[in-house]
Amino acid sequence: MFKKTLLGTILASALGLPAVAQDAYVIGLTGALTGPPSSTYAPAVEGLRIYIDRVNASGGVNGKPIKLILEDDGAQPSKAAANTKKLITQDKAVLLVNASLSSTYAPMVAESKNAQVPLLFASGVCPQSVYPPADPLQFCTTGYAANYDSQAALDFVKANAKGAVKIGFAAMAIPLSRGEIDHAESLSKTMGMTPVDKEVIPPPTADYTPFATKLKDAGPNWVYSWAPWVTQVRTFEALRKLGWKDAMIAWAHLESETELPRLKDDRFYVIGANALFQDDLPVHKEIIEAAKKADSKYPPTMMTEGWIGGMAIEAALKAAGWPADAARIRNAMETMKLDTKGLRGSVIEWTKDNHFRTRLDYRVYRWDSAKSSIVRVQDWKSYAVK
Amino acid sequence: MFRPTPRASGYFRTTYAADAALVQTRTEKIFLLLFLIALAVLPFAAGPFILDLACQFLLASIGALSLMLLTGYAGQISLGHAGLIAAGAFTTGILARETGAPFWVTLPASALTGIVLGFLFGLPSLRLRGLYLAVSTLALHFIVVYLGGEYETKRGFSTGIVIEPPSFGGIALRDGRAWYFVLLAAAAACLLVCVNLLRSRSGRAWLAIHARETVAEALGIGIARYKLLAFVISSAMTSVAGCLFAYYRGFVSIEAFDLFLSIQYVAMIIIGGMGSLLGAILGAAFVVVFPYLIENAIRLLPNAQRLAGDIFAVNYAAFGVVMILFLLFEPLGLVGIWRRIQNYFLLWPFKQRPLAGGRT
Amino acid sequence: MQLVVNILVLASIYALIACGYVLIYRVSRVLNLAHGELMMLGAYLVLATASLFDQHPALALAAAVFLSLVSGGLVYVFLMRKMTGEMVLAAILTTVALGIFIKGMVVLIWSAQQQYPAQALGVSNPSLSIGVASISLWSAALVGVTASTYASLFVFLRFGRWGMRMRAAGQNPLLAAQRGINLHGIYALAWCLSTLTGACAGILMALDSGFTVNMPVIGLKAFPAALVGGLDSLGGALLGALIVASAEVLLIYYVDPLLSDVVPFLVLIAMLIVRPWGLFGTREELDRV
Repeated sequence: MFKKTLLGTILASALGLPAVAQDAYVIGLTGALTGPPSSTYAPAVEGLRIYIDRVNASGGVNGKPIKLILEDDGAQPSKAAANTKKLITQDKAVLLVNASLSSTYAPMVAESKNAQVPLLFASGVCPQSVYPPADPLQFCTTGYAANYDSQAALDFVKANAKGAVKIGFAAMAIPLSRGEIDHAESLSKTMGMTPVDKEVIPPPTADYTPFATKLKDAGPNWVYSWAPWVTQVRTFEALRKLGWKDAMIAWAHLESETELPRLKDDRFYVIGANALFQDDLPVHKEIIEAAKKADSKYPPTMMTEGWIGGMAIEAALKAAGWPADAARIRNAMETMKLDTKGLRGSVIEWTKDNHFRTRLDYRVYRWDSAKSSIVRVQDWKSYAVK
Repeated sequence: MFRPTPRASGYFRTTYAADAALVQTRTEKIFLLLFLIALAVLPFAAGPFILDLACQFLLASIGALSLMLLTGYAGQISLGHAGLIAAGAFTTGILARETGAPFWVTLPASALTGIVLGFLFGLPSLRLRGLYLAVSTLALHFIVVYLGGEYETKRGFSTGIVIEPPSFGGIALRDGRAWYFVLLAAAAACLLVCVNLLRSRSGRAWLAIHARETVAEALGIGIARYKLLAFVISSAMTSVAGCLFAYYRGFVSIEAFDLFLSIQYVAMIIIGGMGSLLGAILGAAFVVVFPYLIENAIRLLPNAQRLAGDIFAVNYAAFGVVMILFLLFEPLGLVGIWRRIQNYFLLWPFKQRPLAGGRT
Repeated sequence: MQLVVNILVLASIYALIACGYVLIYRVSRVLNLAHGELMMLGAYLVLATASLFDQHPALALAAAVFLSLVSGGLVYVFLMRKMTGEMVLAAILTTVALGIFIKGMVVLIWSAQQQYPAQALGVSNPSLSIGVASISLWSAALVGVTASTYASLFVFLRFGRWGMRMRAAGQNPLLAAQRGINLHGIYALAWCLSTLTGACAGILMALDSGFTVNMPVIGLKAFPAALVGGLDSLGGALLGALIVASAEVLLIYYVDPLLSDVVPFLVLIAMLIVRPWGLFGTREELDRV
């Protein structure tokens, strides 16, 4: 084996392959920049990139620039696997970032484990392995989290409903969304609600009305959906077209801030872990300005997830010092506390066995036609993570 | 090796053994040897990224060879290739995950799945031709994918099934170089099977069916039997490729086998050149390497970082353009170009074959 | 009642898309797998024209429809013309490649986000109620457009001079060419009309509920409708769309919504086994493919 390696090294140097001498932190990201689900991930990646560019423009971290290498996987697992391999072996990335569909997790985790390079999930849903007890190599900053989201959403429904709750559910026919909605359905029973119907809708659907018809005929007075934005909003619109007048709560994806003013519906609630731009924090102004400067084709309101991911990367590198290898960055991440400047309800805190965060906060928003703007209907409500 | 005509300047074969030999002349032997040495040295010379690319290419070439057998030779169009790869991968994934079955169980099991599915995929071919056949394989693809998705959801593997690398005698196959040699052996075996099938009775029967079914039937060829045989053999090889894919990547997930994968395989045999095994291999290499070429070319542009989000859309569009260009201007594919170059040197200084004294 | 309306809307969507497949297949025996992408292109063209003709939604829509017609012609002139008389597979693959190209280009130009042409045009989508059922304005428009498209196509193919030529080219291209019919003109016309109807479907669906780059998949789902009815029969496409749409809507309501994804293809396989040329297709042509 040693001989082979030696031979390989000699040959490699003889062939003049690029030697590894880097004067920058190399971060490798693979994300769904194209492909069907890219509308959720591409803006986040754009936000992350703009954030890192800004860090570099102001002198980098510990005096060194961050070299962010973006690879597209089109939400395809095999492309994600190839990308990860390339990022690790050729680019020598010391930190991997995933911003893609959950189907890309398995191959990426496998590669990161092989090479012992830490992996940050920065806009896809957090996998089970970052919750306590966490996998040592995986971290997550993404806002949405299976099980907790439904708990928070149903808590809100319970607190705001008048009288008995008959609840309907809508999921997209992808394993993740179906699993969460199944969980929510059983949860609703324990909370004293009556689940009346559950629609699982295939991703490419010409017309949502047939699904909405069935949902409406079951007679719910609340509907909850935890699915990609398209499914949530199109189910809602189809329900409204059918003359359904009750309230719906859905997850506040990146799109919600541009979509609520379009829908203009007072009884469509969105629940989320990120502060919307409506709250007008100083950090929001920063994002808007940076996006304008970068001349981005995505609206700044869709960049929050990426921005937080960028913050986490910067903080991790700062704590790891220079020179930093994968192990040092991992160690630094394990004790990291990230102040999101108000983008989240509390500090993102990672511990040895919790790589998700110790506290999780939710805000609820809706459109208010009297004020003609988005309003906050529930301030940060905090949940402790196990 | 891929050409039916002898390579020597005349017909010098005196024994049956010589007639059946795959490598005929000394020059050919020498070149083959050099080629083998180059293949053996490659993993030690190349970086890990190139190695991964080579492994991807080897996997793709198995799939492309089996599709070439079916479409390029037997003339049966299939748009369900990704479904077959998925079937092989899922057989492996389910067996490995549910029963912990080792490599030497899952591989034959995958092949068996391929045989069964090949039979099912092949049944419509007895009734349908051309376009309608393509559509029926497409429908079967959707059904395989639906079943796989249901399995994932019902068992709670929403992010895909992770499987352990295969082990031989207690040693797990993890190293990229070891994988390279395993895949190389598999691809070579697949190629040999194809070459031998094609120069045997079944290969000639397929060619006859491809050319004209009625005539083939009049010649005493069992159309139904050979059509099904083509489907079964091709599907078995494809499923084995799926099994290897599952182990190589360490996971199985239904999203990895979408319609675009089928299209990519069809693109391989079109770009490579229909009706040629060499074409299948060249096409596989082209389709695997092409996106990386485009990507690197764009990265050389100034301000590439800003374009990052666009590179991939460009890549996608460029893939479409290249496919169109090949279909319009080089229907014989890469192998057509290769043969032209070969002929150029073969006939030099003539531009065309001289009328008298030429080989037939 | 609502179920009937749902079936009607879905069947109209499938029928309007399916007639694009039929038009091209009928005259040139080419299956256009880029139909879904061309349909999506129409919807994107509305976005482009909406910014061009600010405040004039009708003008913008007309311009987008006209541009789709032109783009269909361009596709034929620059691409499919060269594939005339080539292998079936090669022609199909050319359309596949075209689809890939279009998809890449629209992402490059408009990004992959969800788009709302209705918002860009400044038109609303109120819900109309008919008795106990309700239907949105643009869905109703879609039903209307489908009906009038089919009606005019029937009249055109039956009585129009060019319509007759199209039928002739479909029946026997060689003879038609020898009798002085300009085949390239006929084929180009088929591509124009097919892209036009596809784009209408895409635009109306997008006006109703927005769209993403995922839209071509819907085009593919409409394909079973065309095949069940018979790939070369317009009436068949209408009936096929009705069958597939009813199967889908009823299964969603009474059985399991998940089935709606595979059912069109199951219907298709059943049809291929029993009667591959479809309900109203021409039988002989199976051997000609």
